[in-house]
Amino acid sequence: MDIAFVIINAITVAAIYGLIAIAVSITWSSLGLVNLAYGFIFSFAGYAAWLVATQVSKDPFLIAGAGILAGAVAGIIICLLVFIPLHDKPAFTSRGMIATLAISLIGSQVFLMVFGPTSKSLPDIFGRGKVKFFDITLTAEKIGIVVCSITMLIVAVTWMRSSRRGLEIRAMMMNPHAASIVGIGIRRTGLYVMALTGAMAGLASVLLSQTYYIAPFSGLTPLIKGVSIALCGGLGSVQGAVIAAILLGLVEALTNKFAGGQFVLMTQFLVIILVLMIRPRGISGLVDKAREQ
Amino acid sequence: MSMSDHPPSKPYVWKNPLFVWGTASGNAEAPSARLPDPRDTWRKHTAFKVATHPVGRLKYFLIWPHHGNRTWDRTRWWPTRRNLLHVKGLYNRKTAIPEKKILDRRPIYWMLSLILLAMGPFLFPQTQMNTLLTAGAAFGIFAAINVCWTLIIGTASIFSLATYAVVGTAAFVTSLLSIRLGLPWYALPPIGAGVGLAFGVLIAAPALRLDGFYYALLTLGLNELFRVFFTTSKQFGAASGGLYGADSFIDQNWQPLTQSMVAYYASLCLLIAALFLFRFINGKRLGRVLRMAPEKHEAFAAACGVDFKRARITIFLLTSVALGFIGGFYAAQYRGVAYSIFDFQTVLLGLAMITIGGIGRAEGAVLGTLVVIFLRDVLLQLGPWRYLIIGSAMLGVVLFLNNGYFGIRRQFKAWRAKKSGEWRSTRTEKGGETLPEEATESNDKDALYFRRFDKVQRDYLKGLITPEAIEEHRRQPLGQHSEALERVLLYFRRAKLEDKYALHRAGPQGPYKIIAFSGVRGVSPRLVDDREFGTLDEAYHAVFMRRVHDLLES
Repeated sequence: MDIAFVIINAITVAAIYGLIAIAVSITWSSLGLVNLAYGFIFSFAGYAAWLVATQVSKDPFLIAGAGILAGAVAGIIICLLVFIPLHDKPAFTSRGMIATLAISLIGSQVFLMVFGPTSKSLPDIFGRGKVKFFDITLTAEKIGIVVCSITMLIVAVTWMRSSRRGLEIRAMMMNPHAASIVGIGIRRTGLYVMALTGAMAGLASVLLSQTYYIAPFSGLTPLIKGVSIALCGGLGSVQGAVIAAILLGLVEALTNKFAGGQFVLMTQFLVIILVLMIRPRGISGLVDKAREQ
Repeated sequence: MSMSDHPPSKPYVWKNPLFVWGTASGNAEAPSARLPDPRDTWRKHTAFKVATHPVGRLKYFLIWPHHGNRTWDRTRWWPTRRNLLHVKGLYNRKTAIPEKKILDRRPIYWMLSLILLAMGPFLFPQTQMNTLLTAGAAFGIFAAINVCWTLIIGTASIFSLATYAVVGTAAFVTSLLSIRLGLPWYALPPIGAGVGLAFGVLIAAPALRLDGFYYALLTLGLNELFRVFFTTSKQFGAASGGLYGADSFIDQNWQPLTQSMVAYYASLCLLIAALFLFRFINGKRLGRVLRMAPEKHEAFAAACGVDFKRARITIFLLTSVALGFIGGFYAAQYRGVAYSIFDFQTVLLGLAMITIGGIGRAEGAVLGTLVVIFLRDVLLQLGPWRYLIIGSAMLGVVLFLNNGYFGIRRQFKAWRAKKSGEWRSTRTEKGGETLPEEATESNDKDALYFRRFDKVQRDYLKGLITPEAIEEHRRQPLGQHSEALERVLLYFRRAKLEDKYALHRAGPQGPYKIIAFSGVRGVSPRLVDDREFGTLDEAYHAVFMRRVHDLLES
């Protein structure tokens, strides 16, 4: 196995999981919601993209757009079902987490009933082109995945940095109580945040479906990978999530190279536990409580 | 029959009785209103207007009468001094009969439920016997696991999602040992307990450093790690979706019904053991120490000398040992274990079980397990709808209940207290009388009663102010008046000086202006307004109108 090939693979996968990690991270830090329904959003967006691909057209932009849009819709559904009714109730964090888990339980069963247990696959949206770069062969798919996820990340971060809505979200991250005092609606901002993060998960779903299949329970692995990266990078920090995605991608590549594929999760979790033992709030998480809920 | 049956404004002409004697002053006759009965106003004000329902507000106790000399006897759990039941002996105040009042009924309900579970196989319908016994065995084991999990999440406040991973690991390791080394079934639970302890130590290490939700996310990942490890490793990998072939206490040569019965009662015993563990951790020193250190109050507890971290980790390790034991028992009962114990679905169902009943209570864990297992293993004809129902129940409970089914009572009480406060504040009208909150501040209860009476009287007199009465006063301010007007005037005359008005004569023949006294010695009266009145009667009537205005405003 070529080391460069392994590293490129790791980067591609890290780019996708990084998107989910950042989505988890933003949701936690701005809304205080530990959203474990990204598996549901993931499958929802995947099935929507598949429906568009089989029923409407195989246009790559249409498929990706359908995935992103469906992700945003799923995010809004979760916001309406979980965040808005629960955000002012006692023990919101644990109840919110359990509620998102309940949604993923319901969601996977609904997918199973509607689409059946057989997995679906999306058409190639990046074509089958190849680029030779020194000795390394880069497929269009890998370049596309990395470019798409970085573009999405840049768009999301720029939007959060430069727009009025982004300012509201950042204010919510710093101090939700003070934000609500100066007139930033918690529920409305919740809808923006969940739509944005849902759209990120939707794109990740479309990108990951280039290599894997869409199935009722296929959202679990991306969810766990994303949550682990977010945890390692520090919940609430975008750059932490990026660093952690690269770090865990490297660990995965090195483990594949030197130990074997079945040890990947073990080494990754050892690294995560080590990081968390040294920095209990992740690589770039704040040491004291970043958000009091 | 009261006089209020006549409408007060019914036309009625008052005749001055003094005219007969020729000594009259004032009007000879005047249209007036009939008087309402003052007692009606009084009754209206003193009535208790809150709807009183016969149930709901009192706490009802179970009472055993006729205990005679045994009223103060106590049965104790040998060899401790603990009572069997929390009871209080007393004489009934009305009948003077000695009786016992049960203050805590929960042990009775537990005993009845456990007896019902033990009698289960004799109550199940014959057609469903096999399904129900299998489900019952699964219920016992899962309830035992969930009771332990409740200890971790509820008592120790460590939000661990790796409970089923510990059980599964212990089950896999003991199954493997039993298959490879031929260990007998009775060795599996203790070995499982050892495995549980080892894994407990491993996953407790991050719990020391991490906060609740970081730990929840980490354990979610650990669960997945265990699943991937066991399904991909060569030793544990088998084609049958699990590892089977361990020794069991259920002999395969027995009748199938006997096998199911033994499994059912064995897992029921396991559940009872788990409940005892819960009682001995949650209800004793460790649990009480941690009740002092709930979430967000850890710093305060630490300042009081509570070593909550040590207590939490102790509970976590003890529970891990118990979970490992359950894992070994699982392997010994089912002759092995399937990979599905590591599934995310299993974790979700387990979470549904403890959420539906209420996190932090043993009864919650048992009830939730009963509901979920019944839906999953008995109502098989519902197909995939079972999981939808379970998921919706979980979502509904989390959205609408603060702490599951067994938290409804407390939540309802809090809601009712809030509502009754709101209703009381809408009923309260502040019209000069003292509110209950103020009344406790005053030592002069006489003043309080006077103010209350005054309020009732003013409300009565307001009903007597009619256009007829005003017209009667305008025509003749002095002299004898109809009863309605006379009552109003008497009330006006009785007021304190500072509430009254006087007339100021500007010249020898008028005009007159209205002034008001300050009520403070040495402070001169003030002019009320600029209006001037040519005659004394006009001025009297203006003062009357001003007092009427004050009365209606109050």
